Amino acid sequence: MTQENPLQDPLRFHKKAPPCAVVIYGANGDLTKRKLMPALYRLAYEGRLAPGFAVIGVSRTPMSNDEFRSRMHDSVKSFLEASPFDEDLWASFAQGLTYIAGDVGDAESYTALASHIAEVTEARKTEGNVLFYLSTQPSQYAQIAEGLGAAGLNRGDGWRRIVIEKPFGHDLESAGVLNRRLQAVFNESEIYRIDHYLGKETVQNIMAFRFGNGIFEPLWDRTHIDHVQITAAESIGVEGRGAYYQEAGALRDMIQNHLLQVMATVAMEPPAYFDSDAVRDERAKLLRSVRIMRPDQVAANAVAGQYGPGRSGSELVPGFLSEKGVSPDSQTNTFAAVTFLIDNWRWSGVPFYIRTGKAMPKRVSEIAIQFKTAPLAMFRRATAGAEALPNVLILRIQPEEGISLKFVSKRPGSGMQLRPVSMDFNYGSSFGERSPSAYETLLLDAISGDATLYTRQDMVDASWKAVQPILDYWATQKFAFPNYDAGTWGPAAADEMLARWGHTWRKP
Amino acid sequence: MPDAKPSTIKPDKILKQLEDIWTAFTHPPEDGEAGDIGNDGILRACSMTLMSFVDDEEDAVALGETLSGLMREHPGRMIVVRLREGDDFLDARVFAQCWMPFGHRRQICCEQVEIISTMDRLADVAAIVGPLAVPDLPRLMVLRSARIVRAGALRKILRLADKIIVDSSMAGAPGFGELGGLLESGHIAGDLAWTRITEIRSLLAQLLEGSTPAAITLEYAGREAGPEARYLQAWLASALPDTRVALKGDGSVGAGNPVAVRVGDDLSVTLCGGGAEVKLGALSQRASFSHSSTEELLSIELGIVVHDQVFERALNRITA
Repeated sequence: MTQENPLQDPLRFHKKAPPCAVVIYGANGDLTKRKLMPALYRLAYEGRLAPGFAVIGVSRTPMSNDEFRSRMHDSVKSFLEASPFDEDLWASFAQGLTYIAGDVGDAESYTALASHIAEVTEARKTEGNVLFYLSTQPSQYAQIAEGLGAAGLNRGDGWRRIVIEKPFGHDLESAGVLNRRLQAVFNESEIYRIDHYLGKETVQNIMAFRFGNGIFEPLWDRTHIDHVQITAAESIGVEGRGAYYQEAGALRDMIQNHLLQVMATVAMEPPAYFDSDAVRDERAKLLRSVRIMRPDQVAANAVAGQYGPGRSGSELVPGFLSEKGVSPDSQTNTFAAVTFLIDNWRWSGVPFYIRTGKAMPKRVSEIAIQFKTAPLAMFRRATAGAEALPNVLILRIQPEEGISLKFVSKRPGSGMQLRPVSMDFNYGSSFGERSPSAYETLLLDAISGDATLYTRQDMVDASWKAVQPILDYWATQKFAFPNYDAGTWGPAAADEMLARWGHTWRKP
Repeated sequence: MPDAKPSTIKPDKILKQLEDIWTAFTHPPEDGEAGDIGNDGILRACSMTLMSFVDDEEDAVALGETLSGLMREHPGRMIVVRLREGDDFLDARVFAQCWMPFGHRRQICCEQVEIISTMDRLADVAAIVGPLAVPDLPRLMVLRSARIVRAGALRKILRLADKIIVDSSMAGAPGFGELGGLLESGHIAGDLAWTRITEIRSLLAQLLEGSTPAAITLEYAGREAGPEARYLQAWLASALPDTRVALKGDGSVGAGNPVAVRVGDDLSVTLCGGGAEVKLGALSQRASFSHSSTEELLSIELGIVVHDQVFERALNRITA
């Protein structure tokens, strides 16, 4: 058992990373430039990284250490969000940056990497701890992991961990294959599957809100909640990423991973304690409770959409089929809406509606929990049915993160007129301090060995199982796409899906 | 809304004035002031009551800027009591401070009460400020007044708060003895001199993880160790009972602030220019310290409204 550091001051100290080397595959790629390196720099800026810290960039492009540092300098300066850039600090941080060119298919590149890691371990005093971050095409994940294993890099003097980005497979079967290949090299506890949605402050705040307060949890069940709507809308279209998006689609890109994880966070049972495995056990348990649709149930419970030309504000947006790299008869869904049911005691019979789409009227991500109406409509006659307005609790993930509760109140004056009002908690106004980016949070967690916000294989499997029948059914259909205009809230079929339950979508 | 010569001030009247401000904000006059408060109105934010006792000579503009900055992270009811010499003067006014967060359409507003009092009316101040505190939320007090430390009514004032924050590095500020007294009376206490060394403590905790050095030397600038150097020594000595923690001054005319920490021959941390230079064998690394202004330090203290056992242990070690 590790002895506790007597100098720790948990009330005041921020979490700090132990010494380690982060090996980034795909070091010349967009994610490294836009997200990973700015996040690492920011962690250095906040003093979260140990003096013994190093980054080893790996990609195919031949480049010297100085060239790599220069490129990363420019990237960090460009993409650092809400944070100053300190040249002196960069100079110190950059001493730990090195680069090694190598092809992931070349066995010798792993041998060279092993030598390089040994040098860095000595020079930077990283204690042999290594985090491999695969920021490459998903098709290379297994190959890289196997290459690392063959070179003995999966084991060493310190700890070894591997981080992979979604998608974790493109269906249930391929996810299983990927998993088996990864687990042949790394233990499950060493595999960190990143879902940056879970790193968002407000998604983490769902747990604080539910389990840190005593008043909500007693209402958090089928007795009091009528239904839940989870929306993740983008106002932009695919904007040049048509070729990539064509392979994925909204259901795979958003619902299978991010939004099912969000749903699991909203609906899971309280863990016994706040620990990575306890939290993930509950999320996994919830995902395993999602009712799997039969093929004949899909049409009524899942809607695919694709945007046609329309307007985003005053701007004309071309239809998806006009995007570069998109096949003119593409059947890709740019919108997906699904009704999920959870077969457990807490949620039996409560529909969870999830929708996501491109080219919608605004960019918004939120969870709306609609409570059942008051059991007795005693104000109906005086208020033209206003009392029938249900209480809605809205957990806003973006843009203005916060929590709102809608309820009715008496209007001042004589008579009993009720009016809906909103009680707002605004994250930014109550805590003016800067929120760390999701990548800062997740990288620090991975380096510190905290997997709470990472997805585990059983969670990945369970969420694929939940969406696989929909994917299979849709693959057999010929949709009359496009079926919604850009700048609208999706196809009419999505409204009809809720209407069958007597519900309507919120207009966030 | 100041009255010309208020001989008495009633908390109810101040509360009514505060309520009137909010009503005026949400129902602007018809001649069109609505544009001043943003397109989506205002958001009233309150997470605490913050009472600040300052001497009347303190720069009002600088204080206003500090409080305004604090409101963004700790929105609440701010009560500023300005204390002056003289006889029988007591006055109060209320106003709201608003700001529009970048990219938002709605202003966030916090309320502020300013009370000006002569020292002989301090007991009245206590009776006014008490009822003004927002119910059910933490009540924090910042003592920046040298006058109040020697005031007879201090005990009454202290009873108003859950937490009392001082800066023992300031001239005339309460020292370790007074802070120890606060702890003994059950108060939560905070000292910005302690807050100021948080980042160097955090860095040392990281560097010394898993090791128990035989000796640590804390170097300070000056002939006598200041509160920060003494806190640092007390903290290290409390946490590492088997380590000899020595204080060493450089004999200069400095204020006694820590300048370097040396651990054996292999590790040194030199404080410089808003950060620290760490030398670990041949490895040299710069660490940047982000919190140094009074506003930032206060902001940290306002976020802690429980007994801080690490701080209290260090303070008790000094005062023992």
